Formats: sequence, C-alpha cells, structure tokens
Amino acid sequence: MSYSASQSRLRRTLLYAALIAVGIAYSLPLIWMVSTSIKPEAQTVERSINFLPTPASQTFSIAADNYSRVWHDPTVNFPLYLRNTLIIAALSVIGMVLSSAIVAFALARLQWRGRGTVFAIILATMMIPFPVLMVPLYLVFRELGWIGTLKPLWVPAWFGGAFNIFLLRQFFMSIPRELDEAARIDGCSTWGIFWRIILPLSKPALGVVALFHFIFVWNDFLAPLVFLSDRDQFTLALGLQLYQSQAGNTPWNLLMAASTLVILPVLIVFLFAQKAFVQGIATQGIKE
Amino acid sequence: MDHITSSRLADLTRRGVLGSLTAAGVGFAFFGPRGAKDNRDGRLVLDYWEKWTGQEGAAMQGIVDRFNQSQSKLFVRYFTISEIDKKGAIAIAGGAPPDLIGLYAYNIPGYAESNAILPLNDLARSAGIRQENYALAVRELVEHQGKQWGVANTCGSVGLYYNKAIFRERGLDPERPPRTIAELDEMARALTITGPDGRLSRVGFVHTEPGWWSWDWGHFFGGSLYDLDTDSATATAAANIAAFDWVQSYGKNYGVDKLLGLQSGLGNYSSAEQGFLSGRVAMVAQGPWLANIIKRFTPDLDYGAAPMPVIDSLYDPTQPVALIESDVLVIPRGARNPEASMEFIAFTQRRENVEELSRIHCKASTLATSTPEFFATHPNRCVAMHDQLAKSPRAFTSPRTRVWLEYKDEMESGFQKLWRLEEPAKAVLQRVQDRAQLLLADAARQRNARAALRAKV
Amino acid sequence: MTPMLPRQRSLSANTLGWIWVSPWLIGFIVFLAVPTAMSLYYSLCDYPLLEPPLFVGLSNYRRMFDDPVFWIVLRNTAIYAATSIPLGTAAALIIAALLNNKVRGVGFFRAAVFLPTVVPLAASAMIWLWILNGELGLLNAIINPILKPFGLHGPAWIGFRGTGDKAWAMPALVLMSLWGVGQSVVIYLAALQDVPESLHEAASIDGVGPIRRFYHITLPLISPVILFNVIVAIIGSSQVFGAPYIMTQGGPDRATYFYSMYMFDKAFTYGQMGYASAMAWVQLVIVLVLTALTFIVSRKLVFYRSA
Repeated sequence: MSYSASQSRLRRTLLYAALIAVGIAYSLPLIWMVSTSIKPEAQTVERSINFLPTPASQTFSIAADNYSRVWHDPTVNFPLYLRNTLIIAALSVIGMVLSSAIVAFALARLQWRGRGTVFAIILATMMIPFPVLMVPLYLVFRELGWIGTLKPLWVPAWFGGAFNIFLLRQFFMSIPRELDEAARIDGCSTWGIFWRIILPLSKPALGVVALFHFIFVWNDFLAPLVFLSDRDQFTLALGLQLYQSQAGNTPWNLLMAASTLVILPVLIVFLFAQKAFVQGIATQGIKE
Repeated sequence: MDHITSSRLADLTRRGVLGSLTAAGVGFAFFGPRGAKDNRDGRLVLDYWEKWTGQEGAAMQGIVDRFNQSQSKLFVRYFTISEIDKKGAIAIAGGAPPDLIGLYAYNIPGYAESNAILPLNDLARSAGIRQENYALAVRELVEHQGKQWGVANTCGSVGLYYNKAIFRERGLDPERPPRTIAELDEMARALTITGPDGRLSRVGFVHTEPGWWSWDWGHFFGGSLYDLDTDSATATAAANIAAFDWVQSYGKNYGVDKLLGLQSGLGNYSSAEQGFLSGRVAMVAQGPWLANIIKRFTPDLDYGAAPMPVIDSLYDPTQPVALIESDVLVIPRGARNPEASMEFIAFTQRRENVEELSRIHCKASTLATSTPEFFATHPNRCVAMHDQLAKSPRAFTSPRTRVWLEYKDEMESGFQKLWRLEEPAKAVLQRVQDRAQLLLADAARQRNARAALRAKV
Repeated sequence: MTPMLPRQRSLSANTLGWIWVSPWLIGFIVFLAVPTAMSLYYSLCDYPLLEPPLFVGLSNYRRMFDDPVFWIVLRNTAIYAATSIPLGTAAALIIAALLNNKVRGVGFFRAAVFLPTVVPLAASAMIWLWILNGELGLLNAIINPILKPFGLHGPAWIGFRGTGDKAWAMPALVLMSLWGVGQSVVIYLAALQDVPESLHEAASIDGVGPIRRFYHITLPLISPVILFNVIVAIIGSSQVFGAPYIMTQGGPDRATYFYSMYMFDKAFTYGQMGYASAMAWVQLVIVLVLTALTFIVSRKLVFYRSA
C-alpha cells in the first residue's frame, strides 16, 4: 500500500474512532434515560450500570406498566397536555413561518425608508431577556382579555420572530434578483413574486424555521408557567416540570418515562426531517 | 433499483410518514381528550386555587364535591396550581384573582400588609368560625397585626423521629428518647456506626437530614431570628450563636466529609433509600407526614416521635418547643363574593372535614380538641404527640415579616457555610444579621412611604 | 443604486415596505415596546406586585451596589459565560469538523449530536442530575475506574439536597452545557460545507497538513458564522436559568446562583418586582456592551466573502 493510502486509512480509522466516541458521549444520557424508564423503581438507584432491568425477560411488561402509569396519571394529564401542545404548536408554527417570511421579504427585497433601522431594531430585540417582559406582558395580556386562554402562547408568533426574520432575510437575499425581474416583466404583483417565486424557492429555509420553532414551542415551559394557571390548559413541557416537582417526589423511572414520552414526537419529526433540514441550512447563508 | 428511483422512494416514504404524523396530530387535536366540563346550572361559581396534588389533592376534591352536593347556590371549582404563592400574587396583581386561595401561613405577612387579601374577623365570626376552636399555636398562624387573615386548613409540627429498633439494638431504651441537647448528642454518638474504612455507615443525628428547616435551631436554645415588637433581626443573639456553634460541633466531631459522604448516598425523600427509612440516620427532625412515607415503603419500621430536645434550662414537658407551619385558606382582594367564599371555608372547617383532611394529609388536626376516632384511625401512631405540640404555648412559627422569605434564603446560605465549617457561626450570623437588617429597613421605609401617600389621599 | 423593484402604480415603494412590515411592527409595539417601557418604569419603582408601583427614582439601582448577593450572581454568571462560551465554541467546531466527512453513517452521528437540543429542559435537568450524582451517577461510574490507580476519584459534582461539592457545581453545569452544542454544530456544519473543496485541495497539494489547513483556510472562511454563534451564546449564557433552577436551586451555598435566578426570586418570591426590573435593565446594558465589544474585536478577526 502506498504511503498516502495508508495515511488516509489511518486518518479514516481515527476519524471513525473520534466519531464513535462523540456519538456515544452524546447519546449515552438519552439511552440511559430510556433504560431507566423501563426499569422498576427499586432498580433505578443501583450502583452498577445495567441497561436493562433484571430479569431482562420482564422488560416489556415493566416498560408497559411504567408508561401506562405516566399516561394515566390522575394529577398530570399528559394526554390532555399533548393535545394542548399540538394546538399551540400548530398555530404558532404556521403563524411564525408566514409572518417572518412576510417581514423578511420586506427587508430583503423591498426598498423603503427606514429599512435599515427596522432591521437593526429587530436584531436588538433578540437580546431582550424574557424575564424582563414577563410581568408587563402578563398585564398586557390581561388587558386584552387573553389570560385564561391559550392565546398568549401562539398569537405573538403571528407577528414574526426576530431570529427567524433574520434567518429568512439572509436566505432571501441569496436568491437571484433576475427571477423577480423576469416575473415582474410578466406582470406579476409584489405579493405574487413573494408567493410564487420566493417562497417556493425557500422551502429548506422555511423548513428550518418551522422545525426550530416547533421544537422551541414544544419544549417551552417558561411562558406557559407564567401565562397559564388553569391546569387543563397546560402544555407537555409544563406538565413534565409539574410531574417532576410534585410533592412527594415522583420516582425516577416514571420521570424518565414521562420525559421519553414528551421527546418522542419531536424526535420522530426531527429524524425524518433531518436530511432536508441540514440541506436547508447548507444552501442558505447565515454569514453576511 | 437505480439511484433515482430509490431516492424518490425514500422521499415518498419520508413524506408519507410526516403526512400521516400531521394527520394524526390534527385528529388528536380535534378529537382528543378535553378538560373536565363543569356543571353549573345557574349557581355562582367559585374558583378555588390550591397547591395539593395526588392523594392530598383528592382529599380536598372530595370535600369540594360534598360541598357542591350539599347545597344548590354555589359551585366550587378546585384547581391545583403549582408555585401557588407566586401565581396567586400575579393573579391578584393582574386584577383577576380566584375566589379562594390556599397559601402558606408564612405568606400572610406579605399578603396582609399589601392588602392583597381580606381581613376575615367579621366574616369568619358570622360564619361560625371562632378562634377558640383552634389549637393555640394555630390561632397565631393566621393572625397578623391584630387581624385574622385566613383560616388554617392543615397544620404540621416538627418533632424528633427516632428509630426504636436501632435504639434497642444499641442498648438504649426505646421509650426514652432524648429530652435535652446534651442527651441528644450522647445518644447520637452511641447510635453512630463507623465502618472499618472510616466511612460512616450510620449516623445518630445530622442537622441536614432532611434539613428542611435549617434556620430554626436557635429556638431550642431560647433564641429567635426576629423580634416583632421592634421589627428587627436578632440573628446574633447569644442563644442563636450557641445554637449554631452546636450545629457546627457535629461537623467537628464526626467530620464534614464523612457526613457528606453518608448523605450523598441517600436516595430520594420518597423512597426506601431515604435516610431515616433506610436506617442510615437514626434520628431526624421531621413532621407527621413522615408516617405516610414510612407506611408506603417500610411499613415495619418501628418508629417513635418526641418533641425536639432543648437545652437543659428550657426543658419542660408541659411546654415543648416546636415549629408549627400550616396551610391557610384566604380570600383575595377582588374576589367577587367574599361571603360565598366564606360559606365554603366554613364547610371545610366542620369537624368531620377537618379531621378527614388532616388524616389523609397525615398531620395533626388544627382544632383544639380531636375525636378519639381521629387518633385511632390516624396513620401516624405518634399523632397525639404532634397534637400536643400544636397546643404548646412555646410553639413557634417563622418570623412574621414580609421580608422573611429573603431573610430565610440568606440564613440557608449562611447555614451551608457554617455547617461545612467554612466560617465560625458568629461571623456567619453577623453577616446574615446585617443583610436582614438592611432588608427590614428597606421594607419599613417603603411601608412608611406608602402610608404617607395614602394619608395624603 | 437602482431600485430592485419598479414602483407600483398605486402605492409608493415606501408605503409598500411599511405595509409589508406591519405585522412585525404591531407585534413589536404591543408585545415588546410597551412591556419594555413598562419594565423600565418599574425599575424606577418599588413594586411588590401585590401593591401598585411606587416611584422611588434610582434607589433600586443604587441598592444593587451594596447588595452582596447581586455581586455574587453577577460573578457566577460571568464565570459561567467565560468558561462555557469558549469551551462550547471549540467543542462545536471540532465536532462539526468531524461530522463534515463523507463517511458511512455520518447522518447517524449528526442526529446523535443534535438530538440533545430537542430534549425539554425538565427532562435533561433530571437526566443530568442523575448522571452527575457524586455517589451513584453515571459519570463517576465511568471515570472512577480510570482514576482509581492514581488514588483519585470523581468528585461530588452535584448531590441531592446540596450535598455536592461547592467547587465542582459550576464545572458540572458547564459540562452539561457542552451536551447542548448541537444547534451550533448544525450551523457550523452548514458553513463548513460552504467552504470550497478546491481551496483545501490546492493547499494539501502544497503540503499543508489538515490542522494548519483548518486554521488558515476554514476558520477565516467561517468566521462570520462563529461571530454569530458567539453572540447568540453571550445572550444565552447571560440568561442561564432553567437547569440550575431545577438541579441545584442555586446551591450549594449560591455556588450556582445565577443572575436570572436572583432576578426571578426578587420578582416573584421576595416581592421586589422593581428591583428585579432594574436588574433586567442592567443585564440588557451589559449584554449590549459585550455584543458591541465582540463586533469591534471581530473587525480584525472576521473575514467576509463578497456574495
């Protein structure tokens, strides 16, 4: 074997070793989470590392028992929270993608006075920490009569989000202008250009925005914590936190089962959208 | 299959899965589970926010259901709220409070001084609730600045729980728990087991197990952290310094590392691996609810309970020193119909309801007297002892000032330092004292400014 | 400069622009500007939430200087940021570089790295609370056998009820933060894939080794992305709240008590919303200053390609 070929062989092996190490390090906590969720309570505090409960043959029945206890918990109504979270996520993601795209289009394609200033302000708003706004926002929502509903959690998404506007603006700016001009010559209106040219070409970036925002809404527990008081309106993330902080301490195995349940939908969505997702990031520029 | 067809297939599969997931999601959203519907039929609906979940919540829900069935004017909706004192404050501040809130007794000074809850003296009396019906210590819990601000619905007191089996094993009389601090130290020493490698496998007593009230040790030496009459912090009183010197003596005698080593191996409070249940801590300062946990995980544990030991000069079996805390029902300012709220409160205060709630919560009753059945059916065999604590003239509660929560956190932080022997107790207490005085001064200044403003108007 | 789109017949370009931006504008005013103004006003008041705000001028800001806990949380947050940002950036870059190879199954490794960011905070806090436990945790179970021959053992990273080692609580949280670099990794990965292969090939023909190639070619070309991620990290780490809130509650003895946690306690537990608002504004100013400094420093270090 030539020198360079054996060198690259060595490199490949080292690369694989490093990748496997990283892969294990990052997936171990999650694997452990699932493994704890299928054990009986007494075995969650052992000193030895076991991935399956003993006896392993009972794994399935123990798992079924744990998960059904979580799903049917009398106090923390996970099925109901799943429904609430789905509603909020759907409404929020649709609103966010649409509104951010509209505003990003205005920043990327239209010429108007004050455009630069507005963009700078949008960037600056990314830095405002949420706790600053929590109580005043609560009072604003109260004035609007939205406290007691799910509205505070999804309506603001219909007005755009700074990070997503930023992302989409960068992406739109990378689409060649000639396409716009060609459409314009054919008599297309501004909205038409947006809807028929820019949007279809931006599917990867829109997908990124949708996915990131979906994950964010799915896992957000701070906003629901402040704006929701009625337990029947809780979301999964809040329910999980409630489950964890209940008086009397929930056992570890049930906690991990609950966590697994909450992660599952996002996990599935991510795994299948993954390819398009990474593609989407690659073909747009976050760089200036 | 060539490359193009296989990737199209992958594409279709992916789309198929995402599509069906979305459809499932939409279906679930439209046809999925809903919250419980309320049955109102023309009644006045009262919203009751409470903190209890699980069994304890179910007990209160039972009382609520009985109330709803017993009359047709009012309908109470029971909500379990987490972080209830924070959520309650936000709701009241936002002008949309519930009709009843279950707070903690230590919230009363803050809420009362801000006029966020209604004084209940007249309302309660006309509903038949009389302070004389309640245990001595419980009465004080709901009062502040001369008025009554709530009605206690459960109360807990802290005593010394000890493991009789371990006592017997080490040759101590299981019916003779320690009465004074000196005896506590002696017995703790006798019950501690050090393994051959120097590690502790059992400790007789350690302040940080469970360590839920690390600020109150001064009381067992005759001191307290706050003087109500002068509105000043008294963290550096001699009794407090003596008490925390004593706390530090455990670290010195047993070794902080060894104690930490033992503790870090203990499991969750609610598990058989817990310090007391597993026999690794022979005596703990705990409340009556411990019996529920014992019943659940180690029902054969032979336990006893006694008042916390005090220094020799303070010992008086007729007047034990004990910490009392309770949950209280309050009516927020802005509640639509306080009389209606009080009607529900009065129902919960009927003897049978109080005793049932206290029994399920595994606490002593708030009432001055209890039925023999209450004691007989109570899950805690030592409930009579807790009952006695609630009636003691020397029972104490947390300082009745609105800055208590911040003061307490400062104490907790200080306790961490002094328990780990990082600084002498006196220095730590001095620092806590300084900060507490600052907080009290700020609070007083703001109180005066607001009073002046109100006087102008 | 020629306008990108010729004027509409009915609306001027200016008006059109503003109409398009109106969703954001309305939202900005109602959900951002108004609450921000309110919070600025509150910062000048004593506001126990249960009573109306009482104007007290700058006394909240003045109180901060004398407040020992304020300085403790500020220092803790600064230490956390100063350690987790460089470590996180380095880790993300290295991992992204590793993942930027066309080997079989690389998609699996990419998923493994990104997955942790999808986990809700309550769940990861619980998982890591267990992993980092001194006596029974997974981490020590792994490193103890390695350290044993040297007579060492893994420290009590985090213990229940504050029994952990004070010195190791912050490192434990920093370690946990490295588990969440997945989002940055994805962004770096995309940027790396934009670096033209031709440059690397040319350099390697000239005999430049892979590490030097990374340093002299790749890094400068992705430096704008690094800048973006660093700024996002500054904003994020200054607001660290969830994990310590659930795992350590700020302990042991305020070792993991961070700025946002103190702000939250002041607002909702201690009834001092005014002071908390003042803290929020101070935090905003600090982050703005840090971001501006980062931009200034970046002028020397960041290299922008023309589109």
